Amino acid sequence: MTEPALKPDAVQDALGDLGTVETVRWNRVKVSTKIEKVREAILRAQSLLACDHVVQISAVDNGKSFELIYHLTGPHRMVIALAIDIPRDKPEVPTTSDILPPAGIYERQIHDLLGIVFRGHPDLRRIILNEDWPANEFPLRKDWKMDPNKFYGGVPPEVK
Amino acid sequence: MGLSQRLVNWARIKSPWITLFNSGACNACDIEVIAALTPRFDVERFGILAQGSPRHADILIVTGPVTKKQAPRLRRIWEQMPEPKYVIAMGACGASGGVFRGLYHVVDGVENVIPVDVFVAGCPPRPDEIINAVVACLGLVKEDLAHGGKEWRQKKPTVIPRVETPPKEVTA
Repeated sequence: MTEPALKPDAVQDALGDLGTVETVRWNRVKVSTKIEKVREAILRAQSLLACDHVVQISAVDNGKSFELIYHLTGPHRMVIALAIDIPRDKPEVPTTSDILPPAGIYERQIHDLLGIVFRGHPDLRRIILNEDWPANEFPLRKDWKMDPNKFYGGVPPEVK
Repeated sequence: MGLSQRLVNWARIKSPWITLFNSGACNACDIEVIAALTPRFDVERFGILAQGSPRHADILIVTGPVTKKQAPRLRRIWEQMPEPKYVIAMGACGASGGVFRGLYHVVDGVENVIPVDVFVAGCPPRPDEIINAVVACLGLVKEDLAHGGKEWRQKKPTVIPRVETPPKEVTA
């Protein structure tokens, strides 16, 4: 395996003042930052670290809060993971779909399954759940339970 | 039964046309169906032909535990098929939901959406078993033609007679 061209020190220089930088693996650097600083961090990663590609945006409910991680990479093959913590009572994040165009579709998916609202997203429609899924039900939240009295879409009972 | 009807029935049994529908499967069943259509298994000896459109098909092969998003679409596909139509549900998922049973996004099996004639066991079933299921379906077609419809093998709801038992005396 070849070493990536980007050194962790360069990441520390570019993003060090936005959060804590740690090297998780030989080709992966994790930057833990804040919600309001994440757009700035992405812009800096694009301009200073040549990160022109978003691998994926992952979100997980860890019971206390939502963890959102933007995985960015570029021709240097180093993956820079920008991690933010979102409080459960106010799950709102500014959108990144204007600076990272492929991020829009990931944001729709996260909004669909976890209920995180991306402020400023142009088109936050359903993408993965069925069209007749009830509102305000987010199946990947850890405290979500299926309500047996509710109809979750599919085939209506009278057609069956 | 007129001559033309007998000719149609003969042709139907000699060449069943199948179509495949993936209702949220993991693709293993679909790959096995594609493998069954290769020259190695030579399904043309039974006249089996894969069709792209459900409007041209006699037999619908459904794979996967029907997801809630796919369930109305599966029902519409089934309604588009001309009578007489037969349905084969493939694999453990098609029969009962398989490993996906009880999840929030599946309806647990094909039979909750459309009537199924033949179930194939396996995860995924071998191509031989798929061919066997289609041939078993042809046996059903033959019997249905002899009985003049599918009604003879559809289950009637069993009525269990209710036995009135007086409540037990509770002694303090």
